[in-house]
Amino acid sequence: MLIDAMGIILADNGRVKLGELNDERALAATPFGGRYRIIDFMLSSMVNSGIKHIGILAETKYSSLMDHLGTGSHWDLDRLQQGLRIIPPYMQSDFFRSPNPQDLNGLYDFLKHSVHMYVVVAESNLISNINFTKFVKEHEKSGADVTVMYNHDADSLGSPNISLTFEDNKLVDLLIDPLVRTSDCSSLGAVVLTRTLLMDLLTQTISRGGSVFNTEFILEKYKELTIRGYENNDMTLRINSLATYFSASMRLLENDVLQKLFKSENRIYTKVKNESPARYLKGNHVSNSLLSDGCDISGNVENSVIFRGVRVGKHSKISNCIIMQDSVIRDGAELKNVIIDKDSVIRSGVRLQGSPDYPVVIRKGVIV
Amino acid sequence: MPKQQMIAMILAGGQGSRLGVLTEYIAKPAVPYGSKYRIIDFALSNCTNSGIETVGVLTQYSPLELNSYIGNGYSWDLDRNIGGLSILPPYQSLEGSDWYKGTANAIYQNITFIDNQNPDYVLVLSGDHIYKQDYREMLRAHIDAEAAATIAVREVPWEEASRFGIMNTDEAGNIIEFEEKPANPKSNLASMGVYIFTWKTLRAHLIADEKNPDSRNDFGQNIIPAMLADGEKMLAFTFDGYWKDVGTIFSLWESNMDLLDRPQEINLQDAMWRIYCRNTLQPSHYIGENASVVDSILTDGVEIYGDVKHSVISSGAVVEEGAEVRDSILMPGAVIKKGSKIDKCVVGIDTIIGENVEAGISVKDGREDFVNEKFCSDGITVFGSGLVIADNVKIKGNSMFFPIEEGQTCDVVLESTVLGII
Repeated sequence: MLIDAMGIILADNGRVKLGELNDERALAATPFGGRYRIIDFMLSSMVNSGIKHIGILAETKYSSLMDHLGTGSHWDLDRLQQGLRIIPPYMQSDFFRSPNPQDLNGLYDFLKHSVHMYVVVAESNLISNINFTKFVKEHEKSGADVTVMYNHDADSLGSPNISLTFEDNKLVDLLIDPLVRTSDCSSLGAVVLTRTLLMDLLTQTISRGGSVFNTEFILEKYKELTIRGYENNDMTLRINSLATYFSASMRLLENDVLQKLFKSENRIYTKVKNESPARYLKGNHVSNSLLSDGCDISGNVENSVIFRGVRVGKHSKISNCIIMQDSVIRDGAELKNVIIDKDSVIRSGVRLQGSPDYPVVIRKGVIV
Repeated sequence: MPKQQMIAMILAGGQGSRLGVLTEYIAKPAVPYGSKYRIIDFALSNCTNSGIETVGVLTQYSPLELNSYIGNGYSWDLDRNIGGLSILPPYQSLEGSDWYKGTANAIYQNITFIDNQNPDYVLVLSGDHIYKQDYREMLRAHIDAEAAATIAVREVPWEEASRFGIMNTDEAGNIIEFEEKPANPKSNLASMGVYIFTWKTLRAHLIADEKNPDSRNDFGQNIIPAMLADGEKMLAFTFDGYWKDVGTIFSLWESNMDLLDRPQEINLQDAMWRIYCRNTLQPSHYIGENASVVDSILTDGVEIYGDVKHSVISSGAVVEEGAEVRDSILMPGAVIKKGSKIDKCVVGIDTIIGENVEAGISVKDGREDFVNEKFCSDGITVFGSGLVIADNVKIKGNSMFFPIEEGQTCDVVLESTVLGII
């Protein structure tokens, strides 16, 4: 079923920062699930739904994001027409002065030169395998100005979250991190509207010197526009804090979650690294864990997510941890509830322990 | 088109008939190897890593899987505007049509392709060897010696020399004689099936060879002896790295086991010489609560809930709880169900081994009706691709399981499908 839609993915969210993991990289580029970056899920969902013209609105620290996305070929988005486009902020020039760090003229231009009827605007920090085809079709049928995707997830919302109140399936209130929840509908950070409407909204904002663009920006217009809800009951993991990042990673170890996210006919694409197969060497003991290519495992690993090219030394003990690409855990180190960013080294005998709601984070490229 | 110094032609049309059921539907270069690779990945990656940007892949036998695996060469960085990868099947022309009669005839039929690329040198390779080689070093030797042909050779143990094509050389490394499988070898330098030719010279010899009705149009048997007879300068280039012809069930199994026992020899982790392969779009692999994996290699999409020892497990393969896998190779998508024990087995693509099956060399009182010593040796048991094997069967070593014909029934192979999988 073909839909006439393009996509915009927001690489950052001003309110969401995953501690030191986002010191040097955009939220969208945060490594997740052994071999992915957070954005892979939204990007793959769009591609699998037939959306083949996608703009990534980058705000800051987008070097690793650009490195990851490349030409878009891993998502089949290296195309003669349309395909992938990274929209960085405009730089100032003689002809153009932008007072704002997040400038919306680039986005406006991108929309202006597209040909599609609809635009799906989505935050990047949702882990799910979403089908946007039905979302867009329902929007088309309903005649609403905007349709927002939500679910009734109440346990693992984290903060910030956007609570939506509907009357007759029309949005009438919008609360961010409400102290008292008056509705059990929470935004999934994806909306659909016509391209022309979005351009109108942007023109008004730009003329008034506005510079913030996210899904709330659109939802806040609920008094002027007809905004309807679309309930999505798919398995979704929200990532809006370090604690939810950690718990979402751990939920990948549940078979049901793993199968739903990765083993349906719609695959999640990511940058290919061509690492060699993982080696399980003598003395290893691994249980309930996800591990990736290029690893050499000689120690003990349980309830953990291990990224590509990680070395786990003899007699080391890793439990409830996330160890990112090319990090080295030397012989005898002990780690519990720890997130280790890329290229770090944990030396022999070092012991680190965090707690599940406050995991210890070791920065990229550090020797401990 | 800009001039290319050297292009590569990869011979990938052979059936690999000694691999039995494993090449029933797919050409040998497309046979899975080493957990995440196909055999041809080594030749293609060597080309890319050696800076060769134009590669022709000559296909003939069951090419569907191979063609779709290679695609446009993107996975090996061979999707280029200039040159790049071309799949070259036999074709019809005004003069008629012909299958590739021999290795030399395959190149002969593509003279126009090579002329269009306008190279000085042509590298001719087999698509079915496991090795890492920098062809640039060989080209340098070829150019320095002003040779017409340079042939890569490696020293083999003297007692095995009579199984190979042997090059007898002078002190400067010039080939003075070529002997195919000599009874009394005079040298232990065996040809690896890697040739660099000066294109002009090879072109003339291919045309002459084609005119000879008695020729089998083969490089080893015809072209090389003819070039020697003509007094062309032929150089032997010694290669001393890991190299394996995975032409038999035993050598395929052994070469996979080499990755576990002697990993430093081929060193797949070498970041300066990556072996590229097509991405399978699978998540990281999962090791279950009570699983045990020792001395093995695994890749994306694998799920292990049972016991795996000294084995090579390919993408998407599943070992269920209570199952035991030893000294075995699971090809992509293979499933070993609960309680099954397999020992020294090769399980084909997407094949499902039922519950409580016992198969392999250690099974004493198993069925013997599938023993197939034409292909199998050393106790290795092979299950073809796309099979469903019944529960509770016991199978002796050296067995080989083929697909069943439509309408046929079998109490071991319950179902079979013809596969075209990437």
